[in-house]
Parts: sequence; C-alpha cells; structure tokens
Amino acid sequence: MKERNGKRFSTIRKWFSGIPALGWLLGAFVAVIIEYYFGESLADMLGLDRIPVLFGVVIMLKKPAAIPGAFAYVFMIYVLPVTIIARITSKAMNWLAVLLEKLPLWMSAILHLILLYYILDLWADMSDYRLLLLKLSLIAIMLTLSLNVINGYMGEFSCSHPGFMALGAYTASIFTVGLFMNDRILGHALISTIPSWMGQIVFPLGLILGGAIAAIGALVVAIPSFRTRGDYLAIISLAFMFIVKSGFENLEVFGGPRGLGGQPDWATLPAVFIWAVLCVWTINNFVESTMGKALNAVRDEEAAAEAMTVNTRKTKMIAFMFGAFWAGIAGGLFAHVLRYVNPGTFGLKKLAEVLAMVYFGGLNSVIGSIVGAVGFNLLSEMLRPLEIFKWIIIPVLLILVMIFRPTGLIAFKHFDIREILKPKLKMKERV
Amino acid sequence: MTYFFQNVINALQWGSFYALIALGYAMVYSILMLFNFAHGDIFMAGSYIGFGVATGLLYLVTSGFFSLPHWLILVLTIIISMFLTSFLGILVERIGYRPLRNAPRASAAITGLMIGIILETGNLALLGARRLGFPSLIMTKTYEMGGVFVTNKKILVVLVSLGLMLALDQFVRKTKWGMAMRAMSYDFVVVPLMGVSIDVIAPLTFAIGSALAAAGGVLYGIAYPVLDPYMGILIGWKAFVAAILGGRGSIMGAALAGFLLGFIEIFVTMIFPSTLRDLIAFSIVLVILTFRPYGFFGKPYSAKLRL
Amino acid sequence: MKKGFLAVTFVLALLMVGIGFTHAPAVQAKTIFIGMNIPLTGDIPKVGESSKYAGQMWLEDLNKAGGLKVGGKTYKVKLVIEDNESKADSAVSVATKLITEDGVLAIVGPQSSKQAVPAGEVCNNYKCPMISPWSTNPATTKDRPYVFRGCFLDSFQGPVMANFVTQEFGFKKAAVLYDVASDYPKGLAEFFKKAWEKLHGAGSVVAYESFTTKDTDFSSQLSKIIKSGAQFLFLPQYYNEVPLIVQQAHALGWKKPIVGSDSWGSPETVKLCGKDCYGCFFCTHYAAAGAKGATKAFIDRYKAKYGYVPDDVAALTWDSLHIIQKAIESCGKLTGKIKVDRKAVRDAMAKIKNFQGITGKMTFTEEGDPIKCAVIVKISDKGEYRFYKSVCP
Repeated sequence: MKERNGKRFSTIRKWFSGIPALGWLLGAFVAVIIEYYFGESLADMLGLDRIPVLFGVVIMLKKPAAIPGAFAYVFMIYVLPVTIIARITSKAMNWLAVLLEKLPLWMSAILHLILLYYILDLWADMSDYRLLLLKLSLIAIMLTLSLNVINGYMGEFSCSHPGFMALGAYTASIFTVGLFMNDRILGHALISTIPSWMGQIVFPLGLILGGAIAAIGALVVAIPSFRTRGDYLAIISLAFMFIVKSGFENLEVFGGPRGLGGQPDWATLPAVFIWAVLCVWTINNFVESTMGKALNAVRDEEAAAEAMTVNTRKTKMIAFMFGAFWAGIAGGLFAHVLRYVNPGTFGLKKLAEVLAMVYFGGLNSVIGSIVGAVGFNLLSEMLRPLEIFKWIIIPVLLILVMIFRPTGLIAFKHFDIREILKPKLKMKERV
Repeated sequence: MTYFFQNVINALQWGSFYALIALGYAMVYSILMLFNFAHGDIFMAGSYIGFGVATGLLYLVTSGFFSLPHWLILVLTIIISMFLTSFLGILVERIGYRPLRNAPRASAAITGLMIGIILETGNLALLGARRLGFPSLIMTKTYEMGGVFVTNKKILVVLVSLGLMLALDQFVRKTKWGMAMRAMSYDFVVVPLMGVSIDVIAPLTFAIGSALAAAGGVLYGIAYPVLDPYMGILIGWKAFVAAILGGRGSIMGAALAGFLLGFIEIFVTMIFPSTLRDLIAFSIVLVILTFRPYGFFGKPYSAKLRL
Repeated sequence: MKKGFLAVTFVLALLMVGIGFTHAPAVQAKTIFIGMNIPLTGDIPKVGESSKYAGQMWLEDLNKAGGLKVGGKTYKVKLVIEDNESKADSAVSVATKLITEDGVLAIVGPQSSKQAVPAGEVCNNYKCPMISPWSTNPATTKDRPYVFRGCFLDSFQGPVMANFVTQEFGFKKAAVLYDVASDYPKGLAEFFKKAWEKLHGAGSVVAYESFTTKDTDFSSQLSKIIKSGAQFLFLPQYYNEVPLIVQQAHALGWKKPIVGSDSWGSPETVKLCGKDCYGCFFCTHYAAAGAKGATKAFIDRYKAKYGYVPDDVAALTWDSLHIIQKAIESCGKLTGKIKVDRKAVRDAMAKIKNFQGITGKMTFTEEGDPIKCAVIVKISDKGEYRFYKSVCP
C-alpha cells in the first residue's frame, strides 16, 4: 500500500515536473483573475458570506459549518486553475522559457517579477486586509533575510535586530515627517506641500538614511564583539537593543514612549515590492559572492579561514553592517506602512518573532527566509481567531519543525535564479 | 550616607534575584554550551508552583489537618516547589534540547524560546488573565538602623539566595556529580566515552538550574507579591546578560555578575535621572564587555558552533 | 492517469455544484457587526478579558431584547472580537480586517494608546467610527473625526488631582513615580507636574522618578523620593504595580499619603495590596462601593457572572458599547450600504449629548473626547472604594 502511494505520488510529481516557473506564474495569474471576476459569486454560491480572505482558514476556524464551502472555494479558485493552466500551457511556457533564457538573466528575471507583481497586486486588490498583510509579509522577508546573513551565514547569534529596525524606522520617519508633514511633535513641515509623485522620489532617500544609521549602530555592536569569537555578540547585541529602546523612550523630541505618528502614505505596494526585491537580490548576490563564501568559511572554522587569508574581522563586520542596513530599511518601511512608530514595538517580542522566522524558514538560505517570513506571517494571521491558543499552536509547530528539521524548513540551499527560471522539459522536446 | 547604605541593601535584594536566575542560565551555558531561553519562564512557573504549594499548605493548616508555624510553611514551600520545578526543567530538556543535541546550538535556543512562550500562554489559558497575589507567609517587619530601613523579607531573600549559591558551589566542587558536570564542560565528546552519560548530566543540569529558579520564584513572590504570566521575560533576559557576563566555565561568576547587574541598575537610578536607567546600565555592560570580552571569570575558548 | 484526473475533477465539480444548490444563497440576514479590537494576549491580557466580558454582557442584553431596533426594523447584532496581542502592528491589521473583511459598523478599542493611535488612523482613513474606551493619548482622536474615546483625558485628570491634594492636605512638595516606557502614566505624570508647579511654583515637584514597564523593584527610586522630603507621592500607575510600590514604600519607612489615578480603579489593586493601600485616595470614573442605579446593576451582574467586581476598563467598554448602540438607534434607519451607515453612525455619535453612562454623563467635544466628571475615591479601612468627592470640568 505504501509502495503504491509512493508510486502515485511520484506520478503526480512527474505530471507537474515539466512546468517552468513561468507556467506556475501564469497559472496563478489566471487563478487570481478568476477570483477577481467570479470570486464573489462563487463564494455566494458556496454559502460563504464573502470571499475567503486568507485561503479560507480564517472562516473555517470561525465557522466550522463553512469548512466544506471554504475547501471547495480554495480548490476551485486556486488549486484547480493553477494546476490545470500550468499543466496545459507547460509546452508553450517551456518554449517561452527557452526564448527568455536567451535574454540576459536580469531581463528575464524582471519579466517574471512583473508578472509576479501583477498577481500580487490583483490578489491584494480584492481586500485591503490582504494588501496590508502582503506589505507586512514583504517587510518580514527583508527582516528575516537580513538576520539570516548574521545568524545563518555568519553563524553568530545576534539579538539586536529590533534595535536596528527601530533606528531605521525612526530615522526614516523623522526624515519624512519632519520635512514634509505638519506634525504636533516635530512642528511645521520644512518643505510643505510637495506633489505626491515627489514623495516616491524622496522616500527612498529617507529609507537609505535609516539603513545607514542602523549600519552605524551596528558598528557600535560589532567593534567590541568581533574582537573575539564567542557568544558575547548575543549579549552585546541584546544590551544594544535595550539601549536603543530606552534611548527612544527618553527622546522627548520624537514623542518619547508616545511614539511618532502621521507618516506620509508613501509605502505603497509597488514601493515595498521593489524594496523587497532589491533586498533579496543584493543579499543573494552578497552571500554568493567571494565575501559570502568567506563568511561561510568564518562560520565553519574561523582559524582555518584566517589561515586562508580571509580577514575574518573585516568580513564579519561588513556582513553585520550589511544585515543591519537592510533591517533599517525594513524598519523604515514598517513605520510607513503602519504610519506610526513607538519604542515599545521594538522590544523582546519583536526579537522572538524575527528569530522564530529565521529558524523556521531555514538557516543559510535565501529561499528559506522567504518561506519562513511569509509562512510565519500568514500563519499568525490565519490563526488569529483562536485567540490565546494561537500562541500555543505556533510555538508547538516551531518546536516540531526544529526537532524534525533542526536547521529549519529549507536550509543550506542556493537561491539560483537561473535554475528557477529555466525551462523544465528535456532538450528532446525543445528542439 | 544612609542614602547610600539604603541603596546597597536595595541592590543586594534585587541582585539576589538576578543572581539566582543567572545561575540557571550559567549552569546550562557552562556545562552544555546551550542557551536556555525558557529559563525566565521556568522562573515564572516556579513562582506559580510556589503559589500553589503555599496556598495549598495554608489551606490545610487553616482547615485543621495539621498545624505548622508559618516559617515552616515557607521552608516547605521553597523545598517542594524546587523539587516540582526541577521536573519542569527535565521536561524542557527532554522536549526542547535532547532531540536537538546534534543540531546547531541556536536551533535549541529557539526551541527554548518557544517552550517559554508555551509556558506563558498556557498559564494565561489555564489561570486566566487575573494577577495572583502571593500569600504573605511572613509578616513584614521593618527594622531601622540609623536611617536605613531593612525588612525581614529583604534579609530572608539575601540569606536564602546566598545559602543556595554556597550549596551549589559545594555541590559542583565536592560531589561526584559535580565533578562529572565540570568534566562535561571541558569536553562533551571525550567525557561521555569515560562513562559519564550526557543523558544523565544534561537533565541534571536543567533540573538544578530550574530548582534554583523556583527558589528565586518563591522568594520573588514573597518580595514582590504580584504574579503574572509574563513576569519572567524581562528579568529572564537581563539575567541572561548577567550569566554570560560572568564568563563561561564559571558558575559563581554568573552569580557575581547577577549581583553586579543589580548594583548597576540601582546605583544608576541613584545617581542619574531614573528615566535613563536602562540606557546607562546597559551602556556600562557594553563598556565592560569591550574591555573584558570573555566576561569576568571566563577564559578564552573556542565556541565553535556545531553547524 | 489522465482519465483518472479528469474523472476526479468532474466529480469534484459536480459536488461543488451540489453544495451550491443546497446552500441556496442565503438572504443576507439583517445583522449588524460590531468589532472589538482588544488585547487578549500580550502585556495586558486582563484588559482584554474585561473588555470581552463587558462586550458579551452587552450582547446578551441585546439578544434578550431580540436585537437592535433602528427605525422600526430589528437587526441582529454580532460582536467580532479580535485579539491584537497588545502590539501596534497587530492592532492595525485587526482594524483593517474588521473594516474591510468583517464589514463592521463600528469598532470598540483598542484600549491602550500605543495601539489606539495607529488603529485610529486606519479607522479614520476608512471612515469607520471607532471608540477607544481607555486610551488617554490626545493623538488618538486629534484631527480624526471618526475616532472617539470613552474616558476623560489626562489633561483634565492631572489638575484634578493637583487641586484635590492642595485643598485637602495643603501640601507644597510633591513626588511623582511613573513608568517612563508606558505612555499613559508618563502623560499623566507630566500633566500633574505642570498643574502642581502652576499652583506652587517651579521646583515644587521635588522628586520626579521613573522606572520601566515590568519592573518590580522600586527601592532605589523610592529611597530617592524619601530623601527628597516630599509630602506625598503621586502614583499614576496600573494596579499591577501599585501594590508593589506602596508596599515597598512602606517597607522603606514612608508614612505619608499616596494618591493615585484612574488606573487604580480595579478591585485587584486592593486585593493584591492589602492593608497597605487603605486610606489612599485616587481619581477615577466611578466608585464601586455605594454605587446606585444602573452602575450598581452593572457591577452586581458582572460580579455574579464572572466572579469579581468589574474594573474601570469593563465599565468604560460597557459605556462605549452603549454609546455606539445609542448612535445606531438614533440614526433613524440603516440603508444596508455599509459606508453610508458608518457615516450616519459617526454623525449621530458626534451629536450625542448628556449620555447617561455608568461612568457618568458624557458629551463629546469636537475632537471626539468626552466631557465628563471625575470621582475621587478613598480606599476605606475595609478595602472598599468609597465615594469621596466629585469634580466636574
């Protein structure tokens, strides 16, 4: 019986193995279009009040009676169209993928990303709740990835990510609120009334500034902690996090514990999406570069790396600041998505969350971080109807993941864009 | 001058808690090279268990099953809750750490963190959101000595924690088990080959650490009689800082670092505006670590992650 | 294989059509959804629990009456209770979810300001009325026509206490101890300091000490306060810290009066604090002991149902829900178009005058802040909250 199941499973796998990334994206695109036009009436037909917002899980937990309807909905809107379209068009898509392969990699990647963006945009267009979750998930991806550089690729245990986030969030907010908004705390806008398109131009400046400040903050942690190898980074970074939080609580100018609100609404989906893509792209390049390899060498055996002419201290410092920079950018975006920032947000709770996302997704792996961040975020949003028990189920899940896959779901995997985008059928069919 | 001595007394009490909790972290860290992030919540659980034991004993006494003086109830509460909480420590080791013995150390730290969250939320789900008042087992008596106010509770807290620390020190240095632990901290590849099983030492380490946390929890309940499910988080993380500040391989170093952290926090408040306490206290920690990167009593070592 | 796949698809499609028919599109029941955005987990689970209980009691009343009557029609009411984990980002997602997904007509909560400020922004943007029963930060309602609050502001409470102490005891030197990381105590401490210095001149607050959320040892700060020679201590803290601070102060030899703020108003304060708190004064929304009329009825019912005397959060949440109910009722009719109805409810709410709640009479200002009286309560020797004095703006 088991053998037969295995066989059946492998047939299903074979059935779908010839589909390139483009095919899956097309399938998802069609699914989202179907949901966009027919979702409402289908939901109505299935006896649901409205379109199930997060793949039906929230509805199922709230109303057990809606379980068959929600299942049917998810099956008909997502599972069926994606699989059928992907399978039917697999030949055509492989042919297209072959064509795209001839283009430079970045061009083909951008084409795929545009398609991905439109899928996400359409999906989020159906509900602002989805939009918010999407933005927060993208930001979580950036945070997780940047911590993975330090905790995964470098193999240290850093606890200061909320601190870097806070630095980025405050710097970016002070930049945008102080310059462009009338605010009770920071007074009149220095540059009042700018057209909204200008916002999208100056906003990156604020974010980069935030990232830079976070990187400088990282230097404060890095200088004492990388003189030696040990677990001192863990407490120095923890102390740093307490210092940053306490510092912002005492800075009356920026609202103190009351926080700073009224950020302009510039963190739109395209902006967050572009930043997230940039983050994934640069971090992936970084860890695949010589520097990244040196970092892995430092992690595995510092003395040996030193002997092989790796400047271990410099490597570690650069990687640490690099991670902090992206955490700062993520923090800036976070503040502008919520349009409010307060020191209390960047405490031990946030730390536990970010750590959980990194280790859930997988160490040393870009794709793992993406899976971890999105998975954790969706899970914690989907299980919200369970109230208190949510925070029992999520930790139990994480412990199980750790026990059965101690380095996370997808650890130690290269994120090879070419490999992902390439056509999946054998040469015979391509010619 | 009385003001200064008053604060010394205050710091002694506050430092005792950091020291007691830091000991548990340091045991696990020094001997097994692991971070036990569930420790703050084990402390919380210990306090709640102490609450249960004390209430139970008080109930039995008032309903006339037997009669005990209050100080004896206190001693029994401490001993029974230490005993019970040590099983919680063993459970944490069994669930969160043993399956991950060959995994990266950080993964085990995450399971610890998650067990901590389960303990907090489980407590919230079981007992509800109400805060519990720890039964007052001893009447507060305030003594004045030349303008310095000392309560019997403060004396009790400091004495009991010092006593426990001495006992632990003797245990680690004088007994066979303690020797096995110290051996393990040198090398956990070779020592198991000598017939000291890590499957015995690891639970024992967790159990002793948890028992100390429980004692800390009961004393904490006596000194600060408001219990809530999240009470272990902040004090736990700060004690974690103290544990590593002490230096690896030196369990007593952790206790001293715990007292030091208590003193830093209290005296920073004494000298500077109290709003800046965390800022200045942790900046001092940062500076100390810059000059003594292995902590106070730690020796340089290679913390090669088992990745 | 291909055939099997098709067959499965076909069967499933049939099944779904079947489901579709059995679940004939239900006529949209006339239901009003009210959202609650409250912290059931996180730092202040007790606040969430009290709000939830008050909400359930309110719903029970409505269900007993058969529903909410608006313009001759009766609507069923459902509460959508969501946990914001006491986090700002979660509060924003919850508010967004309640508005866009659950289609609520109005939202109660979040309770504490760090969540109410960002969530208020969301509600105002979507033009959904929101009322925060407990948030005292001015920024929550400032420039937000759709956001209201159910409690008086710190800018009112601070001077009330300063005046009360001056008149009652004739003191000149004050000490304040507050939590610097939490905006309610901090804001109140600042307003109190300002009011006190206005009465007694600069430097009359001789000790202005602070600590951080979750601290339990205050000995150093209290030693400083004792040394400063202050005549009384103002303690704008929550009920989980008050017992610890008062007990520690007494252990350090403090014998002078201690006065508090509305955050003392939970029965837990005295339960946890014991005799140490007897004789203290604080300012609050209502006095539980000796309460009359609707207030007493509410307290008795709550106590019978959940086993303890309701705290200020429960009372304020109860009032907030009734304000929403009154606003909906006075809309005249509901169109069924949620956006139109939300605006109607908001307008009706802004017009509410002299609303008789269990925490006193309320009228909203243009900002959406209520004008209401404060009550000064003395903790009696039996540990009851005895009405002492009423102060109106």
